[in-house]
Amino acid sequence: MAHAPSTGHQEQHGLTPRQYIMLGLALTLITIVELWVSYSGMARSVLITVLVVLSAVKFAAVVAFFMHLRFENSLMTKFFVGSFLLAVAILFALLGLFWGDLQPARIALEAVSGH
Amino acid sequence: MAQAVAHGGGHVTSTGTSNRKLMMWIFLGSECLFFGSLIATYLIFAGDVIHRGVGPFPHPVTINGEHHEGILDIPLTSTSTFVLLMSSVTMVFAVYGAQHARPKMMKLSTLATIVLGVVFLGFQAFEFATFYHEGLTLGTNLFGASFFVLTGFHGTHVAVGALYLASLLAASFRRNGLGHEAGEHMEIAGLYWHFVDIVWIVIFTIIYLIPSE
Amino acid sequence: MATIAGTLTQPASSGIWSWITTVDHKRIGALYGVTAFIFFMWGGFQALLIRTQLAVPHGVVIDAKLFNELFTMHALTMIFLAVMPLGASFTNYLLPLMVGARDVAFPRLNALSYWVFLFGGLLLTSSFFFGAPDGGWFNYAPLSSKQYSPGPGITFYAVGLLILGVSSLMAALNFATTIINMRAPGMTMMRLPVFVWMSLIISFLLILALPPLTVALLQLLFDREYGTHFFIASEGGDPILWQHLFWIFGHPEVYILILPAMGIVSEVIPVFSRKPLFGYPAIVFAGVAIAFLGWAVWSHHMFTTGMGAVPKTIFATNTMIIAIPTGVKIFNWLGTMYGGSLRLNTAMSFSIAFIALFTIGGISGVMHASPPVDMQHQDTYFVVAHIHYVLVGGAVTAIFSGIYYWFPKMTGRFLDERLGMLHFWLWFFGVNLTFFPMHYLGLLGMPRRIYTYDAGLGWGLWNMVETIGAYVLAASILVFVWNFFKAMSQPQTAPANPWDAATLEWATSSPPPEHDFDVVPVVRARDPLWHDRDHGIEPAQPTGEHIHVPPPSYYPILIAAGMTVMAMGPLSHLALTAIGAVIVVYGIWGWALEPTE
Repeated sequence: MAHAPSTGHQEQHGLTPRQYIMLGLALTLITIVELWVSYSGMARSVLITVLVVLSAVKFAAVVAFFMHLRFENSLMTKFFVGSFLLAVAILFALLGLFWGDLQPARIALEAVSGH
Repeated sequence: MAQAVAHGGGHVTSTGTSNRKLMMWIFLGSECLFFGSLIATYLIFAGDVIHRGVGPFPHPVTINGEHHEGILDIPLTSTSTFVLLMSSVTMVFAVYGAQHARPKMMKLSTLATIVLGVVFLGFQAFEFATFYHEGLTLGTNLFGASFFVLTGFHGTHVAVGALYLASLLAASFRRNGLGHEAGEHMEIAGLYWHFVDIVWIVIFTIIYLIPSE
Repeated sequence: MATIAGTLTQPASSGIWSWITTVDHKRIGALYGVTAFIFFMWGGFQALLIRTQLAVPHGVVIDAKLFNELFTMHALTMIFLAVMPLGASFTNYLLPLMVGARDVAFPRLNALSYWVFLFGGLLLTSSFFFGAPDGGWFNYAPLSSKQYSPGPGITFYAVGLLILGVSSLMAALNFATTIINMRAPGMTMMRLPVFVWMSLIISFLLILALPPLTVALLQLLFDREYGTHFFIASEGGDPILWQHLFWIFGHPEVYILILPAMGIVSEVIPVFSRKPLFGYPAIVFAGVAIAFLGWAVWSHHMFTTGMGAVPKTIFATNTMIIAIPTGVKIFNWLGTMYGGSLRLNTAMSFSIAFIALFTIGGISGVMHASPPVDMQHQDTYFVVAHIHYVLVGGAVTAIFSGIYYWFPKMTGRFLDERLGMLHFWLWFFGVNLTFFPMHYLGLLGMPRRIYTYDAGLGWGLWNMVETIGAYVLAASILVFVWNFFKAMSQPQTAPANPWDAATLEWATSSPPPEHDFDVVPVVRARDPLWHDRDHGIEPAQPTGEHIHVPPPSYYPILIAAGMTVMAMGPLSHLALTAIGAVIVVYGIWGWALEPTE
């Protein structure tokens, strides 16, 4: 949660109105940066990495502070983060299966077996 | 030994969290898989469209030396993204008002959230209509199919959320308002609303911000 | 509706309206059980037609079109309308009793799950009047496309499964919340009965596995009705995407079907061995491990689609690893029986038969975990043998064990033991007679889903044996139905704990009062009733405290009806979807404003 202006007190239940507004502004700012990155024409791999990191920060900030997950029973963090990671894992598995088609692996195998 | 355990209204529970809030969080986990599957479908097909060369395309792309414009209007959607983000901020204040016994703050913020949500849906309706006129439908290509189904189901979630909040707002004008659990009712509605917002954070990045190769 | 503990008897409310408006988990459990058993017999009747057609070469009982509809609907009926809801029936009835709660976390949501299941089941079944789904239960593209299945059947399939998914999701959310949040004092997670643990695991599997199926079904619906081409290869779609999304759901689904059975067996075997369950933590963690690994094996259903060596290796390895936690469970049950004083009554016999039959199905499962072997097994009767050993020999056998075991608790009456043993032996021979020869036929190359075959292929003998076996199974079901009605005509004589069992559902009367427990029990050990018996702890006396029982509600059935009308939209006119949505919203408002205190 490097990004959010939290004081991080565990006892505190939620943020103050002022902190919520600051967080809202910060999220807007990140969105503007994302737009700039999108149009910047930097190398695609760098661009994708930066955008994914920035939206992950936004995602985490909303979940942790707007949705109070940081102040709840840790059980719910486990459920939600677990489900989210499962969704991401399945997403990447599917992309691997469809995009990779594992041609390199197949070629390597054929080379080894002497075809 | 004879301590009473009241399970009824979710007052005393094994974890200390109310049943409703716990269930909403587990449900949102389920929603992660729902949108994850839709996003996977989009990613699998969005690139395929370029290989097949059947437009319209989401982003500007050059195929066999021929340049094609992208259909996505990124400034427009950035505006609607901002609107949805602001609705999350007003939602936070609706929950804050309900939890701190400030009914006026709660009602005004809820109303603002609903209005912002409806404005977002208006942007989406405009976007869909524009695409339709530019020749992108469910059947044109797989980009159209997976784009409309993914953003359409997200829009449906926004609409359900707006109806949910409108119901709570209407109920809050009754004599007892939302009752002694007003804070929790608003908080759970807020969880749903924020979740719909973070799904859009992901969709916005994946569909709109990342250009085609 | 509130009343004073100790003076409370069964509520005077009876008659059809009290069943329609009930929110009592026990009554809902009974509704689930009876409905699912009727669907089970309906699915069995479909199987008998299939087996009769296949009894001899060139069978002429039914034509190819009806045969396609029957094998599709047989699978859908048995999986979604019989075995899953039979598991849900036990969970509904037993879960609050086993954790020491007075009801589930959301009683009205529970009623809604049931009504949605019932209406969804009826909607799916009604497709026989219009042209039933005919693409097999996993309904591969392009067979599911409008081009190859122009009738309304596949659309029925899509909306039927969508609505049944909603029912399962609501039930799973309810059960998970109940288990996590409504345990009696002292009922820690590692003191939960194994059946409850398995219910918790199943709930999370459903919560996480249903969404990919929902997405696949929505895409199928859009392909068929609204002009998309997700699975149409000629238009740039990908039929393999359907297979992936379906099996991402489909493989956790087989654990959703088998884990309740494992839970039931884990309750029955210790009681009739007079020993605590051997290796409780191992059996719990094995269940968790199966559920966890179950997410990374789905493509073993798709080895013949040509995935490349790396994914094949990964999915094959993961699949084989699942045999380890499964083996752990089997040895735990054997270890529980080892050195125990066994009581071989009907319930115990079914449980022991479960271990044997499930092991056979499990071993053939490990066989086709290996891609080269699977390439030979794919789409032959060998696979049919595997799934039926796991589902019929496994899940259904354990469900019968559970019925004989909990019948006194649920009804206050005993099923007849002599008829029960007759039922058991007919069932045991019937299962092996019907499904074991399928292994041979599969290896002889008989493909599944063919409606007839040539006499010269040498398949006639074993097909005839299987058909005889199917009728033996039907006979055993008739014996059970007879037993059921015979028992229900007897007086309620069952004591609270007739089997001297250890778990909390046996601490209250048989059948339990509407509020389950006069006093919420305090749990001091993993086998609470045995612990209290051995330590001379008497159950606490009712204090006369006020017990809140949730009032009945007709909104669940109203909302369920609205959802069903919504689902009928794609089948006829989208206006129905709008009308249904209005009913649903109205029902939710009424629900929200209805007093529950």
